[in-house]
Amino acid sequence: MKPAERSHIGDIDPRALLLVTVVYLVAMLSVPLQRTDMIIWFAAYPIISAPLAHIAYERLFRNSLFVLPLLVFIGIFNPIYDRTPAFALFGITINSGWISFISIIIRGLLATQALLLLIRVSGFNEMCEALHRLGCPGAIATQLLMVYRYLSVLLEEALTMQHARQARSYGKNSFKASLWGPFVGQLLLRTIERSRRINMAMKARGFNGTLSTSPNMHWTTADTVYCLVWIPVFFSLRFIDVSALLLTLFAYC
Amino acid sequence: MNTPALEFKDVCFSYPGGHEVLRHVSFSIQPGEKVALVGLNGSGKSTLLLHTNGLLLADTGTVSVNGKVIGRKNVEECRKIVGMVFQNADDQLFMPTVETDVAFGPRNMGLKEEEVNSRVDEALRITGCSSFRDKAPFHLSGGQKKMASIATVLSMKPNILVFDEPTSSLDFAAEAQLIGIIDRLPHTILMSTHDMDLARRLCTRAILMDHGAIAYDGPIDTLPYPLISTL
Repeated sequence: MKPAERSHIGDIDPRALLLVTVVYLVAMLSVPLQRTDMIIWFAAYPIISAPLAHIAYERLFRNSLFVLPLLVFIGIFNPIYDRTPAFALFGITINSGWISFISIIIRGLLATQALLLLIRVSGFNEMCEALHRLGCPGAIATQLLMVYRYLSVLLEEALTMQHARQARSYGKNSFKASLWGPFVGQLLLRTIERSRRINMAMKARGFNGTLSTSPNMHWTTADTVYCLVWIPVFFSLRFIDVSALLLTLFAYC
Repeated sequence: MNTPALEFKDVCFSYPGGHEVLRHVSFSIQPGEKVALVGLNGSGKSTLLLHTNGLLLADTGTVSVNGKVIGRKNVEECRKIVGMVFQNADDQLFMPTVETDVAFGPRNMGLKEEEVNSRVDEALRITGCSSFRDKAPFHLSGGQKKMASIATVLSMKPNILVFDEPTSSLDFAAEAQLIGIIDRLPHTILMSTHDMDLARRLCTRAILMDHGAIAYDGPIDTLPYPLISTL
C-alpha cells in the first residue's frame, strides 16, 4: 500500500504514527477480557483517523475482516469452556464465555484496523525504518521488510506450481490430500533456495545484517502534538470507565 | 603488462558433499576487457562468478581483484570493486521501491546521503529507470526489473561488472535495450551466457567451461565450431 497522499495525517512522522499505534494496542489489549464496554470506546481511534487519512472507515473495516476467521478460531472455545452466567437478556442467560468471545473479535478487528491504518498512512518501508529508529533491532526490521517484499514472490511460486499441476490434471480440479505434502515441501525447498540467492545478492551489495535507512524523517511540532493528543486519550480510555461515567452523568442530569 | 582487473590462479572448489565444481581454473582479465563465459548448464559458470566477489571462497588457489587476493578479511572491499548482476532480477530486487533498492548498496558503503542520491539518479538515468523509480519492483515487467537490477549495481560504481545470464527471460526489445546499455559501459565485464549472438556483439574474448575446467580461452571469433555446437 502507498502512503496516504496529502491527507491531514499523511505528513506525520512515521515514528509518531508508530508510537501512537503501539500505545493504542497496548492500552486496548490490556483491558480485562470481560470489559467489552470499555473496549468499544477504542473504536474512536480508527473511526476518527481513517477519514483524516482520506480512507473510508467502511473500507478499513472491510479490509480488517480478513482476520475474522482466525479470531473466531481463537475465541470459539470460550463459550464452550466458560459457562459462568454473566447476565440475562430477555430471559436468556449470557455466559462469560460469550462475552470474552465478542471481546476477542472486537479487539482483533480494532488492532487490525490500527495496523492497516499505520501501514496505509506511513507506508511499510517507512514503518520498518521507524521501528529501527525507535530502537527495534535492525535484524527484525529487515526481516519484516523481507517478509513483505517476498510474500508476493512466494505467492507467485505457489501459483506457478498450481498452474503446473492444473496443466497436467486434465480437468480434475480437486487437490488430493496426498498432493499437499509434496506441494508444501516443494514450496519450502524453493523458498529456502530463493532466500539463499537473495542473501547472496544482499551480501554482494555490502549488506552486513543492519538495515541502512534513509534519513528523510524529521520530527516536528505537529508530530509531538499528534502524540500528545492521542496517547492521553488511550490512557484515559484504559483507566477510566467511560461507560460508567456517562451513565452516572445521565443519572445525575 | 597492467595488473589484471580479475585473476583466477589454479582455483578449485567443491560444494559441501564433495561435488567438485571448479577444477584448476586459471585465467586473467585486463582492465576494460569484455569477456564472455560460455558453457553447458552445470559446467560451473555461475559458481565461478560467485568467486569473483567473494560470495564463495576457493578451496585451493586464489582469486585476485586489482592484484589483491580475495580473503575473508578484505571481502567487503572487493565487493565494492566487483558488482554482480544476478540471473533472476527477483533475487536482486528486495527493497520496497526501485529507488531504495538502488540506494541500498551506496548506503551500505556508508556514503553521505547527498552522494547516495547523486549515485542513484545517475544509475537510474543510465539504465533508463528514472520513470519508475518510485514503483515497487514486483510491479515491473521483466525487462524493467533487469534494468533496475543493473542500476542497483552501477550505483556502487564498481570497476568490474559480472553478469549471470543477463538476457535470460527477456523479450527481443528488452534484450536490445540491455545490449545497448552494456555496450556503452566502460567497465571491465565478465558475463556468463548461452546466447552466442550476445557474446559476439559485446565481447571480444570467450572462456569456455566444460565440467568445471577451462576448455577454451581466446578470441570469441575463433571459438572452435565443435565446441560452440555443444552449447
